[in-house]
Amino acid sequence: MVPDFLTIAEAARLIEKRELSPVELCDSRLDRIARLDDRLHSFIRVLGDDARAAAQAAEAEIAAGKYRGPLHGIPIGVKDIYETAGVATTGHSKVMQDHVPKADAFSVKKLRDAGAVVMGKLATHEFAFGGPSFDLPWPPARNPWDTTRFTGGSSSGTGAAVAAGLVLGGTGSDTGGSIRGPAAYCGLAGIKPTYGLISRAGILPLGFSLDHAGPMAWTAEDCATLLQAMAGHDPADPASASRPIPDYRAGLQSGAKGLRIGLIRHFYERDNEANAATRQAIDTAAKALEGLGCSVRDITLSPLADWAACGVTIMLSEAYAIHEHNLRRRFNDYGEIFRDRMALAGLITAADYVQALRRRRELIAELDDAMADLDLVMTAAAPSEAPPIDQVPKFTIMNPPSLTIAFNVTGSPAMSVCCGYTDAGLPLSFQIVGKRFEDATVLRAAHAYEQATPWRERRPEL
Amino acid sequence: MTRQELDAALARLGLDVPEKEREDIAAAAHLIAEMAARLRPPGGRDVSAEPAHVVKFPES
Repeated sequence: MVPDFLTIAEAARLIEKRELSPVELCDSRLDRIARLDDRLHSFIRVLGDDARAAAQAAEAEIAAGKYRGPLHGIPIGVKDIYETAGVATTGHSKVMQDHVPKADAFSVKKLRDAGAVVMGKLATHEFAFGGPSFDLPWPPARNPWDTTRFTGGSSSGTGAAVAAGLVLGGTGSDTGGSIRGPAAYCGLAGIKPTYGLISRAGILPLGFSLDHAGPMAWTAEDCATLLQAMAGHDPADPASASRPIPDYRAGLQSGAKGLRIGLIRHFYERDNEANAATRQAIDTAAKALEGLGCSVRDITLSPLADWAACGVTIMLSEAYAIHEHNLRRRFNDYGEIFRDRMALAGLITAADYVQALRRRRELIAELDDAMADLDLVMTAAAPSEAPPIDQVPKFTIMNPPSLTIAFNVTGSPAMSVCCGYTDAGLPLSFQIVGKRFEDATVLRAAHAYEQATPWRERRPEL
Repeated sequence: MTRQELDAALARLGLDVPEKEREDIAAAAHLIAEMAARLRPPGGRDVSAEPAHVVKFPES
């Protein structure tokens, strides 16, 4: 009997010792998807036959002594903006519902090379931006902690599927918070790595200069395992970094002692006021990090609205350019939320866009200066627990200012970490941010925090 | 932004926006204007202030 919930690390240890069969694990997840996903809508497309074949191949390789590592035989899900060879990649949109790529995205290929078993394509907000929408070919994903609640977006299916134990990890993308938002609302760990660390080749774009691919899983350790497989130079992505990839899992063992953390309190106490439960949970998390040997002190940056104005102007401008052709010809084939946000984007001028890029340079320098004597900064990832799914405003991306897009502007590694639950049992979180290409430090702090707190022991009741 | 101004802008963009959605967009247009204002410092920028360049050119 395979447990309902396993982390990647737990499953990998059992698979390596041949105490868990990848085929049994795959079948147990397919059974779970069949039982639960009618309520969660986390999958757009389940690839049962392909997954079982991949699991059988993994089992045969492992039996032959060819164990590839901690993703070998592990069931994962792929957000439906990551291209998959021979399998429709739709962006959760009518506009691309017949798009069948010839090749896998670079990062999907790397995950398969590491032995991961792709269980299917996961729901997203339309083209990683609209949503939650009820007028698309597939319904929006629901939050496993309370199916009347929003998952966050846009990596909504990944958030729901991992939280519900339908897969052990998955891929997300993050242009303004689309990994960290669903991770926060669904109680996961999710890291937006440094810009350029994971190739964007083969992933449907939203905003070229802000798009980040990244992993989502139950723990920071599992995110490290997925990041290890996904990261690496790709000449097909002009922003791909060419530098050695550290051993992220080995780095986890260093603990958090001695890390210097700046707490950006005004982001969530003044600029986008978080509710009392969130503020209290972050205060408690900061104390827990101090208890682990970190130093934590308040820092002040430009108002959150400045960061959001910069990031949202760039995102909307780049997204409009990407979709301009189809918007002119098929405006009403897009969902209402996406198309109306794009209509607003059309009002941005070329000068606005260039001013945003000039502001971006200033803001990057500002954060670099603020972090000169710090290792990390922390702040809120969301202003509250997940709201009801039918109470998300159409233009929420612009008002109130996003708590997450600042670190898309700077390209910094940024992670959502669960730091408790409301009285109603909904997850709360904080965001931890590192210097560019110091993703290992972010993962290390998150892992130490998770090990020192009980929040990873609770799972949604379904 | 007035409805007339919005209608003119949407016509220039070539977007076939349903009538019932135009009021929502007109009502939200101030958000774009507010962001645009935030991007511009009161005294303007030094003329040589460069934008961020985040995409690398291929190495020769």
